[in-house]
Amino acid sequence: MDYGIYIDIKRCTGCQACVGACMDQNDLAVENQEPSWRHVFSVEEGIYPEARVMYVSLACMHCQDAPCSIACPTGAIGKKETGTVSVNPALCIGCRICLTACPFGVPRFNNEGKMQKCTLCSERVAEGLEPACVRICPTGALKFGSVNELGMQVGIKTAVKLVRSVLQTDSCGS
Amino acid sequence: MNDHTERMRGKIPGPDTGIAIRKSICTICDPDSQCGLDLYVKNGKIIKVEGSKENPHNEGTLCSKGAALRQYVYHQDRIRTPLQRVGPRGSGKFKPVSWEEALGTITNNLNQVKTGSGPESVVFFSGYSFWYRPVLHRMAYLFGSPNIITNASVCHLSMIFSQILTLGLPGGPDIRNAKCLLVWGTNPFHTRTGIARHILDAKERGLKIIAVDPRCSPMAAQADIHLQLRPGTDGALALAMANIIINEGLFDHDFIQNYTHGFDEYREYVQEFTPERGEALTGVPAEKIRMAARLFADAKPAALMPGSSPVVHNTNGLQNHRAAFALVGLTGNYDVAGGNFVEPLSYIFEPGGFITRETEFKHAKKRNEMPPPIGDDRFPLWSLLYDEGHAVHLPFQIQSGTPYPIKAILAFGINYRMWPDPDFMAESLEKLDFIAISDLFMTESCRRFADIVLPACTSVERSEFRCYPERYVIYTQPAIKPLYESRPDVEIIFELAKRLALDDSLLSQGFEACLDWILEPSGITINELKKHPAGMPVPNPITFPEKKYLQQGFVTPSGKMEFKSMLLEKYSKSFGYDALPVYRPPKYSRETTPELAKDYPFILNTGTRLPMFIGSQTYRLPWMRNLRPEPFVDLNPDDCRRLGIKQGDDVAVSTAKGSITVKANLTNQVQPGVVHVSPAYIDVKVNALIEADYLDPISGFPGYKALLCKVEKTNDKNDKKK
Repeated sequence: MDYGIYIDIKRCTGCQACVGACMDQNDLAVENQEPSWRHVFSVEEGIYPEARVMYVSLACMHCQDAPCSIACPTGAIGKKETGTVSVNPALCIGCRICLTACPFGVPRFNNEGKMQKCTLCSERVAEGLEPACVRICPTGALKFGSVNELGMQVGIKTAVKLVRSVLQTDSCGS
Repeated sequence: MNDHTERMRGKIPGPDTGIAIRKSICTICDPDSQCGLDLYVKNGKIIKVEGSKENPHNEGTLCSKGAALRQYVYHQDRIRTPLQRVGPRGSGKFKPVSWEEALGTITNNLNQVKTGSGPESVVFFSGYSFWYRPVLHRMAYLFGSPNIITNASVCHLSMIFSQILTLGLPGGPDIRNAKCLLVWGTNPFHTRTGIARHILDAKERGLKIIAVDPRCSPMAAQADIHLQLRPGTDGALALAMANIIINEGLFDHDFIQNYTHGFDEYREYVQEFTPERGEALTGVPAEKIRMAARLFADAKPAALMPGSSPVVHNTNGLQNHRAAFALVGLTGNYDVAGGNFVEPLSYIFEPGGFITRETEFKHAKKRNEMPPPIGDDRFPLWSLLYDEGHAVHLPFQIQSGTPYPIKAILAFGINYRMWPDPDFMAESLEKLDFIAISDLFMTESCRRFADIVLPACTSVERSEFRCYPERYVIYTQPAIKPLYESRPDVEIIFELAKRLALDDSLLSQGFEACLDWILEPSGITINELKKHPAGMPVPNPITFPEKKYLQQGFVTPSGKMEFKSMLLEKYSKSFGYDALPVYRPPKYSRETTPELAKDYPFILNTGTRLPMFIGSQTYRLPWMRNLRPEPFVDLNPDDCRRLGIKQGDDVAVSTAKGSITVKANLTNQVQPGVVHVSPAYIDVKVNALIEADYLDPISGFPGYKALLCKVEKTNDKNDKKK
């Protein structure tokens, strides 16, 4: 079964808790210029008086047909049974072609030049736990599960919204 | 399945990995948050932090600051032993001493001041966190000093006062049942993440949100209507909304007729504030003011969610906030479900559905048996409504020595930069005979002013009692031993109480006995709490009815909601207070000081919290600092185009009082003509831009969030090279 993290952009408020949780789980030494694996981007739309700010928390999407994996010349990037795209540091030669291939700009390189990225907390997931970023998210913007189940959750939410708007139209008409 | 290496790498708890989960709470933040923690501990060391799922306040979640707790606990700046100053004050030279020696020195000095000038000359100060405050309060009173002083003098108290003066008892927004939420100048998504999910859930269920905020904050992004006012004009906006609600007959007639005082004069006063005049004063389009007023008044029930301090950090702050809270009564949303519901506080600012003897515990001596606290002569309402001295007036009284001299401070967490014009505070502190500071980190204030420095420990190294509005209580157990020679603040207080021979049966019995005494009316005992390390639901919590004023009246002099405050009226002659929530523009503004505004055309706001910082507390943590490595001033891109400023340029932000240099951050989150500097940065003294007496004359709160400044690009080295 393929697991993934879904981001509900309407609920992401840029608090950066997910970034902190990722650093804590993975002992990321940012003070030694080690890269962070998850980033929150703030996106501003419009100008005064119509400006609005939205946020997007992004890390590896663990693609099915992962371009980074296809591009990797040494086979360092592979896909685990759970759907996790993972890097074998022993095979990584730091050529950075994965960065060129990745449509999300995810690959980061540590002080040894090796590629590092989100592991989907695969060791936690194997124990039935959710990834650290999902666990911490105070707004519920990040959700974890099998990708098809996550799709169902979005579907249910939309169905509720549709029903409400139909009911509202009805009561307005009567 | 994981093998052992993978389980170790994933920090999976279990006997094979040697990792155990211990429960605690995070107190980096204020009592409105303080989330439950799961601490992953291996060999006595925390290796990972998570939100505790049992705690109903955060339900497994945390904020970014909480995520970085490990770097907070194990930071290299932690004070390791008690220290005694050896060089001259300010030299930063200290030698380690024993606890015995340090406490002895403090005892001698405090007793010396007591004998020489009187106990009131000793100030007992408390910054973050708050957990030991009742104990410190009791010690101060037993010692004979009315001067327990805290950060409350610049924090949420003025917001509470504005409610007390208007409505009697403060009421919090009932988010779950409201149909419309009027969020006034707060962004809980970055400051109170424990309620973030409830706001978004309610929005998905159809809650309408009006956000009053000078910034395009994440809260404003969630709003149906964003009222983007100029900083410091909140009162004018609230009065213009009242103008619509009254003139269109949208107010609660029954409530106004039966339960309010001064409505006629208020109605007359708001006539000045047509939506068009509101637009001219606030910058919010008149049409938006109309829409917001109608939405708030029509949606029943509707609630107002205030921030702790954004509105009151202004020279007319208390009155501005009174104008906003008047809308709650006007629309009949006071003390109703889904409105601003009144819940009595249980312990340290939080309601929990039970009664305690916190106040009786704090007041070991009657207040009138001691001289009046600091600031009583200047801000009489402060000491009338609250049982602390006024921190903002402290440097003034140190300097003047009247009505009595101040000689010594025993501080638990103090940052002199909290004060407007921190240099004035610094000069004042230097005049004191004796300063002892207990803190986690060797801060600038410790280095510059302390004669004795004491190492305190963090929340995860001690036991403390907390209650939550979700009807939940916890008495934590230490997850790890106190690091180095650090001690819990209460232990320090009990040791001092013993040495000062305060001879108190409660303090001499220790913390748990004190808590049992405080909790006695609730039936909650420390013994029972200890059986529930993650906390437990409050047994048989009290359910409070709606509209409690029907039985007991309003807790105001008139017994009604007061559009016209009788308490303020009492001081109208002697102190010039207005009884109505009169709007006055900031003391330094285009309207009040047009000449000054020519040279200083921008409005300066030094308040907005960034999500990873609270005060300067987490600024030193690499994980948090990495998210905003350099001090920035947020500027509107249009202003920058005009001034030739690019992203990352060094710019000087100056007032008539002072100047700071920071990096420019161009963002549409701020409106043209307004600049924001966060107070978190240790390397920039932003409050040096503000005069020590730039204050709200009623509350004494500094006008941190509305004054005038100019912004200039500095000629940095790169430019010279070109």
